[in-house]
Amino acid sequence: MTIRMIFSATATATLALAFASPAFAAYDGTHCKKPGVCWEPQPGYPEQLVGSKYDPHFDPAELAKQQESEDAMVARNKARTAYFIKTGTWVEDVNQIPK
Amino acid sequence: MVSVGVARANEKLVELSKDNGNWVMNGRTYEAQNYSPLTQISTSNVKNLRVAWSFSDGVLNGHEGAPLVVNGMMYIQSPFPNRTFALNLDNPGRIVWENNPKQSSAARSVACCDVVNRGLAYWPGDDTTGPLLFKNLLDGHLVAMDAKTGKTVWKIENNDIRVGSTLTQAPYVVKDEVLAGSSGAELGVRGYITAYDVHTGAQKWRAYATGSDESMLIGKNFNITNPQYGTSNLGLETWQDNGWKIGGGTNWGWYAYDPQENLIYYGSGNPSPWNATMRPGDNKWTMTIFGRDADTGMAKFGYQKTPHDEWDYAGVDVMMLSEQRDKDGKLRKLLTHPDRNGIVYTLDRTNGDLVSANKIDDTVNWVRHVDMKTGIPIRDPEYATYMDHKARGVCPAAMGYHNQGFDSYDPQKQRFMLGANHLCMDWEPFMLPYRAGQFFVGATLSIYPGPKGNRQTGEGSGQIKSYDAITGKMSWSKMERFAVWGGTMSTAGNLVFYGTLDGFIKARDSRTGELLWKFKLPSGVVGNPITFEHKGIQYVAIYYGVGGWPGVGLVFDLTDPSAGLGAVGAFKEMAHYTQQGGGVMVFSLNGKGPYDDVNLGEYEN
Repeated sequence: MTIRMIFSATATATLALAFASPAFAAYDGTHCKKPGVCWEPQPGYPEQLVGSKYDPHFDPAELAKQQESEDAMVARNKARTAYFIKTGTWVEDVNQIPK
Repeated sequence: MVSVGVARANEKLVELSKDNGNWVMNGRTYEAQNYSPLTQISTSNVKNLRVAWSFSDGVLNGHEGAPLVVNGMMYIQSPFPNRTFALNLDNPGRIVWENNPKQSSAARSVACCDVVNRGLAYWPGDDTTGPLLFKNLLDGHLVAMDAKTGKTVWKIENNDIRVGSTLTQAPYVVKDEVLAGSSGAELGVRGYITAYDVHTGAQKWRAYATGSDESMLIGKNFNITNPQYGTSNLGLETWQDNGWKIGGGTNWGWYAYDPQENLIYYGSGNPSPWNATMRPGDNKWTMTIFGRDADTGMAKFGYQKTPHDEWDYAGVDVMMLSEQRDKDGKLRKLLTHPDRNGIVYTLDRTNGDLVSANKIDDTVNWVRHVDMKTGIPIRDPEYATYMDHKARGVCPAAMGYHNQGFDSYDPQKQRFMLGANHLCMDWEPFMLPYRAGQFFVGATLSIYPGPKGNRQTGEGSGQIKSYDAITGKMSWSKMERFAVWGGTMSTAGNLVFYGTLDGFIKARDSRTGELLWKFKLPSGVVGNPITFEHKGIQYVAIYYGVGGWPGVGLVFDLTDPSAGLGAVGAFKEMAHYTQQGGGVMVFSLNGKGPYDDVNLGEYEN
């Protein structure tokens, strides 16, 4: 191992140590980019998730499921309430609502 | 044909709520003070309080919330399967009606924290529609029941258990609309609040907690008085990688309403997942105190208490309204909110101005203080949580220094009676994928009593305190064996009543905190007491039936201390003091009640 390599390794280790220390400019919520936007990464942690060690690899199809479900519930409720307003009878099963 | 009534049912509800014979909504009135002017039971005679009558609803699990009392009837709501009972106060031995819905038992498997339900809502009726009671079902339905017969009038779908979305909240009636919240942030559910027409079940508006301004019902005048809180587009800008779509912010706590401002007040819950490294950003507008227009749902103000939550300090706790003079002597319309994060916030409820933000206990350590100018909590990085790191000794724990308990405000003394938790934790997150319908937590917790409790025995995890929101001082503070989970109720008789997890209802002198009376109930308490007058007798009623988050170890027979999201270890001693139950107990001086006439309700041949 050359002197140069040893120096370089030490420097990297020191730098890593500095970032790992909570005292090193740790996120305290006070450095805001604009009102209401004050998050900072913990020292040594990525600013952007995607492509990082902590990438959650979200599946867009899974992320879409809640809105799809809510839209379908709203549509079924609309059919129920419309028939109720028209007739005064509540029919829960939308397939049983007369057209 | 169902038509829309013109009479102002809202005003009828205000009128009914002020009658000492009624308890028509959670919190008793729109001020949500859980305060009664009744004085028959007072510090001088509370030692004579005895059981007048009782009722078992036939269901175990946690019994949260409180019964409603309207025009001589008591309405009782159970946990899953969310049975509702109507009893006549003149002869409570006979069940007038029962509404027992059929629900998929699959709903149980996506409930994070026991199959609790926080109660009913009442709408007094108008020219076209008779009085209604509303309840939410764990499986996500909102049900309107005929208050006279218990028959289901309409029933709509608000939440889908297949994506992990449930309902434990009590509905809330404002004018001719009924509000439903949402649960499921532990399963990555993006929170929303919805208003429905009481007559028809037709949806009036829905506001999400994250995403576009349009979906959150945030317009150009949002936070106009306090732009430093943040304004437009932050529901998208403070998230990465579409995380807002599974960002939590569900609201399952309580509401308050100011008819003059026409604003409803409530808090949005924690962001998902608990693993904060997986969601960089402030994660707006989770953890936010909202003031929304009751008619349109448009948000007038939103103050985020816990930006980028790292501790599950779900910001859904009780909102109590008061009018008090601030430090400059100015009379202000206020909102006081003891949050999970250990701070009690008081805001001007007309515009969201921050008036005070004080620690509920001096052992809160994640935050140094709240900057009153910017509203920013100054975090102590030592108690932060993030990946590949185990945080230790964080106070409060995820269960908060205050949770779902509905507390009280004594307007004579201008003091808030706070049922508090004293729990701290160790926390270590882990990576996990999101699959709709599956839990999406990503953290392992160990929870134990705070510095003032006993960590060896696991006792001393609760406090009860009398708080002055203007000076920030506690007039008195008392330790309890376990977290005071269910809230408090105050009366003009200088009393504060509350139930305990170890199975007592207690009364303290609200001026000094001195314990004056208690009674051993069949099971622990996770709801709040109420009081009402009937035929000249003042009664105090309370649900018993331990459960909720602190009871999950006992209810589901768990022993791993980190199970139940860390609650099993925290409450391991509870099984030495209580077992499951479910019902209501009603007290009066010397136990006076309907059956003083021993022949009442007897079979007559």
